[in-house]
Amino acid sequence: MTRSQLLPRLVMAMLLLFTAIPFLTLLSASLQPLGVSPRGLKWPSNPRWSNFVEGYQVADMTPLLMSSTLIVIGVVPISLLIASLAGYGLASLRIPGARWMLLVFIAGLTIPFESLITPLYFQMKSLGVLNTRWAVILALIGLFMPFGVFWMRSHFVSIPNEISEAARIDGAGPWQAFWRVHLPLARPALTSLAILLFLWTWNQFILALVLIDDPSLRTVAGALGAFQSQYGTNVVLLASVSVLIMAPTIIVFVLFRKQFSKALLEGAVKG
Amino acid sequence: MAPITIDRVDKVYPNGFHAIHELCLNVEDGEFLVLVGPSGCGKSTALRMVAGLEEVSSGLLQIGERVVNDVEPKNRDIAMVFQNYALYPHMTVRDNIGFALKLAKVPKKEIARRVDEAAQMLELSEQLDKKPAQLSGGQRQRVAMGRAIVRQPAVFLMDEPLSNLDAKLRVQMRAEISRLQRQLGVTTIYVTHDQVEAMTMGDRVAVLMDGHLQQVDTPQNLYDRPDNVFVAAFIGSPSMNLYEAELLDNQLHIGSHQLTLPESVFVRRPALREYQGRRIVVGLRPEDLEDASITGPVPSGTTITSTVELTESLGSEIVVHFMLDESRVDPGNPDAAEDLSSSAVARFDPRSRCRAGEAIDIAVTIDNLHYFDIDEHTAIWG
Ligand SMILES: Nc1ncnc2c1ncn2[C@@H]1O[C@H](COP(=O)(O)OP(=O)(O)OP(=O)(O)O)[C@@H](O)[C@H]1O
Ligand SMILES: [Mg+2]
Repeated sequence: MTRSQLLPRLVMAMLLLFTAIPFLTLLSASLQPLGVSPRGLKWPSNPRWSNFVEGYQVADMTPLLMSSTLIVIGVVPISLLIASLAGYGLASLRIPGARWMLLVFIAGLTIPFESLITPLYFQMKSLGVLNTRWAVILALIGLFMPFGVFWMRSHFVSIPNEISEAARIDGAGPWQAFWRVHLPLARPALTSLAILLFLWTWNQFILALVLIDDPSLRTVAGALGAFQSQYGTNVVLLASVSVLIMAPTIIVFVLFRKQFSKALLEGAVKG
Repeated sequence: MAPITIDRVDKVYPNGFHAIHELCLNVEDGEFLVLVGPSGCGKSTALRMVAGLEEVSSGLLQIGERVVNDVEPKNRDIAMVFQNYALYPHMTVRDNIGFALKLAKVPKKEIARRVDEAAQMLELSEQLDKKPAQLSGGQRQRVAMGRAIVRQPAVFLMDEPLSNLDAKLRVQMRAEISRLQRQLGVTTIYVTHDQVEAMTMGDRVAVLMDGHLQQVDTPQNLYDRPDNVFVAAFIGSPSMNLYEAELLDNQLHIGSHQLTLPESVFVRRPALREYQGRRIVVGLRPEDLEDASITGPVPSGTTITSTVELTESLGSEIVVHFMLDESRVDPGNPDAAEDLSSSAVARFDPRSRCRAGEAIDIAVTIDNLHYFDIDEHTAIWG
């Protein structure tokens, strides 16, 4: 190993430690005997895996997972559809004012999402969907659009124009070109976007907390808020429930890690 | 099968750039017309207007009996082959070739039959189930051709379809496309910036420069009777040597060199007489220059004496560079910006023993010289 490789590796090892230690601490805490207050990272001599079962039952997670899943199902496919249609339109069709629209989307990327929570609350209230899952679903679809549209547009822009022209000469109208040529070609971009949107939806916390009072209608992460105030002193149980909530995202990450790193790289290159 | 008529067609791009000026071109039924010119001269623009991918700013565009200015590409009965093939990466070769038929709702059986037929013609039968990424460059090129021929269109449009292939494959595909076109008899416009491709493939060749059509003719006529300095320099390789010269009493003075023009030259080019005592542009093709020591005795006034600067032996011939003490003329090809101080070029028979640094007598085939007006750069004929 040369010197020039040593430093980056060292930095990466540090970063890995920084990310891994909190997680391992959480995991170790979740395996302690119930009722203790674990301090720091200390692997229990006798890990209690049954804590997870207990946590699952105490937190009544089945409806929460269901609720999260419903929200994901409501958000991700619709977001993908709208983002790819809009991205395709902005990238490939001649639309008057397309440049301005793109600018608006890019501006949307720069707005911190926290600043939108209050307006969103009132908007959902006026739509009459407050305290239903629709509140979170609609809000998230809207919030994801700047990124989603921008992401899909970057993809469609990278497709050589000649492919569209070949399709046009072959007799495809804009819709046929979209469904039969461009959408199939966009699969990698769509997969990456789907994964990102899934993670962001699943981990959505504050929006669910603000827009829905009933914890059983929230995302799991959002429901944790309610759980926390109830069981705040039972750190071990809290930790095991947290691990359970994280589990699906970790599984998704492991399953799709290739697409995931590709997605991040794509973002880095196309910025 | 249909003729194409391009009648005073202009193209002005939305940004105001005037890419094509009053283009007039008739492509006959079944003809192979090559559109050639340097990079950026407007070849693709012209072709894309015929395809319907660019709007015609003014003028008339006719395919067959029909004016197609406002007809959608898919209704023009054309097929196009793109420079980078533009195959659909996610489809198999079979689906790529059959896509247009599928969109046209041709029955499945019929599609299969025609795809197989096209594949056979192009020796692609083994590749039908592969994706484009699994094919070699030449095979991709063939798929692109297959996509065009399977539709049995009235017109083929090809935009530099061979420029992504290596030299050897290019020669092979050149012959293959020519053969296929002749076999199918489909009217074809073929765009290239390679004059060798143009000369070898075209029934006729149209030379374009800066959006202006320079000349349309058979390859041989373009070579023998170029209308202007640009065409003269563009056709032929190495390029024609173009020098300023002065015509005095049937004597052509190129710097300190002197050539005697026989009466026959003036008979064939009566207008040349009016240039007595004036400066003109003379063009000498490298192949009309030969080492005088191997030509045998030549009439006086048909040789140039100079010094060899450099020789390049190609086996079949020797390319010899030598200096002439006269100003060179820039034909205005942006792709081959002339180094005006560079030397003249001759193609000698390999028996020539000339060597760099030595004096040389060069025999000139006087009958084959070309003459141009020095201001207009147009050929001087009658
Ligand atoms: N969409 C456009 N808007 C403005 N100008 C354009 C556009 N497309 C092409 N041009 C310009 O028109 C001219 C002709 O372009 P065109 O692509 O037809 O050239 P070409 O002869 O095909 O060149 P090449 O051999 O490089 O392909 C060029 O100067 C080019 O910059
Ligand atoms: Mg071009």
